[in-house]
Parts: sequence; structure tokens; C-alpha cells
Amino acid sequence: MDNLFDVSNVTLRFGGVVSLSNVSLHQKRGEILAVIGPNGAGKTSLFNSLTGVYQPQEGVINFTAKDKPSISIIGKKPFAVSDAGVARTFQASRMFNALTTFENVKIGAESHKGIGALGAMFRGPATRRDEHVSDEQTWSLLEFVGLKDRANIIASSLSYGERRRLEIARGLATNPEVLLLDEPAAGTNPSEKNELTDLIRRVRDDMGVSILLIEHDMKLVMALAERLYVLNFGSVIAEGTPDEIRSNQNVIDAYLGTASEEETDNA
Amino acid sequence: MSSLNVKKWLKLLGAVFVLSELTAVITGPPGNPTHPWEGFHGSIVDQASFLGLFTTQRWAAFFVYGLIVSGAAYVFRTQKQFITRVGGARRTVTSNKTVKFTFSLATIVLVVLLPTLVSDPFWQNAMVSQIGVYVLLALGLNVVVGFAGLLDLGFVAFYAVGAYATAWCTGALPLPALFGIHLNPFYAIPVAIILAMVSGIILGIPTLRLRGDYLAIVTLGFGEIITLFANNLNGITGGAMGTAQVPHFSVHVGPVNYIWGIPPVPYYYLTIAFVGLFIVAFSLLEHSRVGRAWTAIREDEIAAESVGINPLKYKVMAFAIGAASAGFAGVMTAAQTNYVTPATFTLALSINILVLVIFGGMGSIIGVVFGAVVIQTITMYLIHNPPAGYQPQDLYIYIGALLVIMMIFRPAGMIPARRRSRTNASVDSSQE
Repeated sequence: MDNLFDVSNVTLRFGGVVSLSNVSLHQKRGEILAVIGPNGAGKTSLFNSLTGVYQPQEGVINFTAKDKPSISIIGKKPFAVSDAGVARTFQASRMFNALTTFENVKIGAESHKGIGALGAMFRGPATRRDEHVSDEQTWSLLEFVGLKDRANIIASSLSYGERRRLEIARGLATNPEVLLLDEPAAGTNPSEKNELTDLIRRVRDDMGVSILLIEHDMKLVMALAERLYVLNFGSVIAEGTPDEIRSNQNVIDAYLGTASEEETDNA
Repeated sequence: MSSLNVKKWLKLLGAVFVLSELTAVITGPPGNPTHPWEGFHGSIVDQASFLGLFTTQRWAAFFVYGLIVSGAAYVFRTQKQFITRVGGARRTVTSNKTVKFTFSLATIVLVVLLPTLVSDPFWQNAMVSQIGVYVLLALGLNVVVGFAGLLDLGFVAFYAVGAYATAWCTGALPLPALFGIHLNPFYAIPVAIILAMVSGIILGIPTLRLRGDYLAIVTLGFGEIITLFANNLNGITGGAMGTAQVPHFSVHVGPVNYIWGIPPVPYYYLTIAFVGLFIVAFSLLEHSRVGRAWTAIREDEIAAESVGINPLKYKVMAFAIGAASAGFAGVMTAAQTNYVTPATFTLALSINILVLVIFGGMGSIIGVVFGAVVIQTITMYLIHNPPAGYQPQDLYIYIGALLVIMMIFRPAGMIPARRRSRTNASVDSSQE
């Protein structure tokens, strides 16, 4: 069994509101997995549960990094989850607006290294070596996502598509096993969407990082995902390959509200 | 067209006149219940010295002041548009490396030569106890508020810890001296810094889980608690009287026997040496991994956590490091003035330090040093050369007016930090 995520029977409530109910899913190592569903289906809640932002009341979330024993995500703080090898992006991109593109990525690269305030003040050889390693990694990641020529500008002046790529680079800088992408294509134009599809595929193929994707854009999901889960009202209603999902009656009902014979190719 | 222009200028002139006279009345001598108009009348016709150059009636002096201030504002405004046009108001004066180097060198020379240029004992003393020490405090608070974005309204607590630690080490308190012997304040420096940092950590660990306004309230409470302790623990701190027996700094190494005494100039050099040290240490920190992590937390805590930054750890670190320079400021104050009393460590002082930081530019080291020097110089000037009718409490009118003007023309501070988004996250909690 080579699963990255093993989620079983997770229930997340906010007071009386059930956001996730009895959700079970798993992701294989190296897989591009997508979670789709209508608005309010609980996709982002699922992401937040997987990254330690929310703490589900019931169920088990296990994460197994390569060659490491599996650990439980529930009860861990987000920074500890990041340490374990889970990186993420956000639905509304969250960057460090006052910093440059380069610094944004570098923060990801150096956050797991153990240089403290004293080391930073005295600039010992170990600190300088670490800085050098982080710089190298940052440059190669910026090249990978195509932001090398934007390295020294303030992140808040990047375009929407560039911000998405910056967030991906920042996530990759933490050397993750899996990258969770929360609606990466939202707000991007068609050509940016194509570049993004290509980039996400390269992240998996070239860097060996598994992808877990939430997306509304069906074209992107169907082009990328190898397997999909469909959430509706906090529950998994279907699971399968893109072709299976496309013809699944439950899914069609969920997206259109009622049973319908009409063809649906967009959501 | 030209009549419209004349009208516009007359309007402006009228506004300046009204505002100047209003200031004259507000800052003028107080009236009394039997002759309520006396204060008003005095505010207008009393003799006032205009910058010591000539003497005239107050209304005229204030009008001229008003004209000068609005003229400066006008020039600044037109120039600012020009600066923004040529590319970013941020990197203006000090963008060029040689310019920057020359500027720093000139500043250092000026700072070193300053005591020879300023011979007035009042100002020599003020340069240490009112400017140097406040620069240290502003540098420390800048780490907390400017770098990490944590609004601390009880910063004076760490200053108090530093001062009392000095008194403790030197045997000036009712409490038996720390190592049993009465040390000279040099040995108190590490103790004071460590105690201040420890109190930063103790305060930080439980409270830094809070955000924004809640943190401000808790730190405010902490500042008050320390003052109350100092006031009421008679057997330990000496109560409201405090202590007046803190010795001066002294060096006794081999043939070198030197004692810092009443003359402030040796203290001045000691202070600027440490100010320099703190400036170097804090700017190294700012451009290190730790500084970037602070910025990340300040900008977006959730995103920072998602890349593996432990916010609590870095916030506590900011508290401890900021407290270190306040603790050192406490040593300087205690040793130079020889006394420590709770009356020094008030909420008003915490706010005052915050004003220095905001005025200079949160997160900008040069900015806060500049802010502290400018505001404290104005304060001292008003105390030393009070304009006619000036009351000590009027100070806040001037400082307040200065802050309002600053907020209009340079909302990010006089020398803004490079690393700050337009919205000032730490103070403006409603930022998008």
C-alpha cells in the first residue's frame, strides 16, 4: 500500500453546521487527484483539514511521506504539517505582499532550516552556507515556474497568473511530497490556464510531487486529473476516472440540481 | 482665470490665518473664571519671541509660523509628485550606493562630533537621557511593531525591568544585591538584557496567541502590572520612592580606572556605541531568515504557517529581542540618573515610544532613529525654550499636530520601510 493520504470517516462541524460528513478518500503516491463539487460542498474545508488549519471532530487523516512512518494530521499545527511534507496554495492567493517574488519563495526554502536569531545576527559560516543553498533552490524554482525575470519585484505587483505560479513555487520550496492546489485556475485567462495545466503536470513529472487539486474549471480538471472525488453537501458522492465521473448520474444531479437528460460538459 | 487664482490663494491664506490664530489661542495663557477673556486676549497680543530672532505679538508670530509650515507642505507636495513620477517615492534619496555611504559617514561624523558642537549642558544631558535612550527604546519597539507587526502598548515594562535589574545588581534596592556584592552597572548590562528578554518570553508565550487589538490590550495590562509591582512591593523595589543609589558606570581594568560621572558627554559616547551596536544587530536580523519570517507573519499569518513558519516562536522571538534593547535603555537611564522610580514607567511613555516609531516609519531602522531624534528634540526644545504661554501639557498639541500632518503627507512614516505593503497591517487591523 503506497498511499500518501488516507482519510477515513472524517467529520468536521462548526457548531451545528456539518461541513464534512463521513468523508473517506485516499491518494496514491505520484498521483494527480482532483476534488470537485458545487460551491459549498466542503472542498476547501477538506483542504483545511488536510493541512491542519481545521481540526475535524471525528475520523482519521494519515499522511505517509516517502520512507517515513505514517503520521496523523489531526492535532498538528499547519507549520508542522508543512514540515511533514504537505504544501498548499490558497483559493484567494495569499502572498507576502511587502516582499519580492524572490523573498517569497526563499521563505519557503529556508523555513525548515534551523538557524535562529543569533546565527542570523552573527552570520556564521553555517548561516551563509544555508543562505546559499536557499538562494540556489529559489532561483531554480523561479526558473521552473517561469518567474525568474520577475524575481526582484514586489509580489503585490504581479499579475493574477503570476501570483498563482509564485504560490506554487513557494509551496515547492518547502520540499513537499504533495502539493495541494486550491482552485489554481480561478481568475486566470485561457492562455494562462494552458500554461498552468502544463506547469502542474511538470511539477508531478519533473519534481515527483503528487498533486491534490480542487478546481471549478472542468476543462483543466479533466485534462489533468487521473482520478476524481466528487463532494456534495460535505459527502463524497462519487469517485473514479474522469470518464467515469462524466457519465455518473449522481454527479450530474449534484451539478444541475435535478435529474436531467441534458448534456453537461461544463460546471 | 487669474481672478480665480487670486481667489484660491486668498482662500488658502485665510485658512492658514484661521488655523494659526486657533493654535495661538489654544497654546496661549489660560484664562480664569473671573476674567474669562484674559487668556484669549493674552494669546493674541502677548509678546512672543519669533525663533529668538525678534519679538512680536503672538498673533503675528503664529501667522508667520503657519505660513512657513504651509509653504513647506506645498513644496513637499509638489516635490513628492515629482518624486513619484520619476519612479517610486520609496527609493529617493538613498538609492545610490555612494550617496548612501557618504550620507552614513557624514551622519557618523556628525554624531561623534556633536558634543563639541553643542555646549549647552541642558542639551548635552538631553542627548543622553532624552534622545539616546529614546532611540534605544524606539529601536526595540520597532522590532516588535515594525518587523513582526505586533502592537505592544506596554513596552515600557521591559524598560522598567532593565532599570530595576540594574538597581538590583548594583545593590541599590532594598532587595539584597544579585550576587551579594555591589557591582558596577557594566555587569548589570547582561543581567538586565537577559531579564528583559525573559520577561518578554514570559509575557509572549501566553499572549501572542492573541491578535491585533486583543494583544494591544493585554500588553497594556502588562505594562500597568509592572508599574504597580514597582510601586507597591516596598520591600523589593523601594516602593513609590524607588531608589536613588544606582552608581555610575566605571571601568577598573589594570591601569585603566575610569568612572562615568555627572558630565553627560562620556555617557553620550557610551550610548551611541550601543545604539550603533543595536542598529547593526537589528539590520542584520531584518535581512536574515528571521526578518523575512517576521515580515511573512505580519503580511499573512496563515500563509506563513502554510510554508512551515511557527508564528508563535517568531513572535516570542520578536518580543524578546525588542525587550533586549529596552532592557539596555533601562541600564543607561538608571546609571546616568542614579535613580529608579516607578513614576518614570507610565503608560504615557509607552505611547510616546510608539509615536516615535510611527512617526519615523514602522519597520524602518533609520526611520525610527530619525523619528526618535526629531520628536525628542522638539520635546526638549519646547521644555528648554518655552514659547510665551507654553504649558508642559501643551506638548501633546504639538506632537499631535505633527502626527496629523505626517499622516496626511507621509502615512508610512518620515522614512518608510522598504518592506511594507501599502496597508499597514499591524495597526490597521481592518486591512483587506
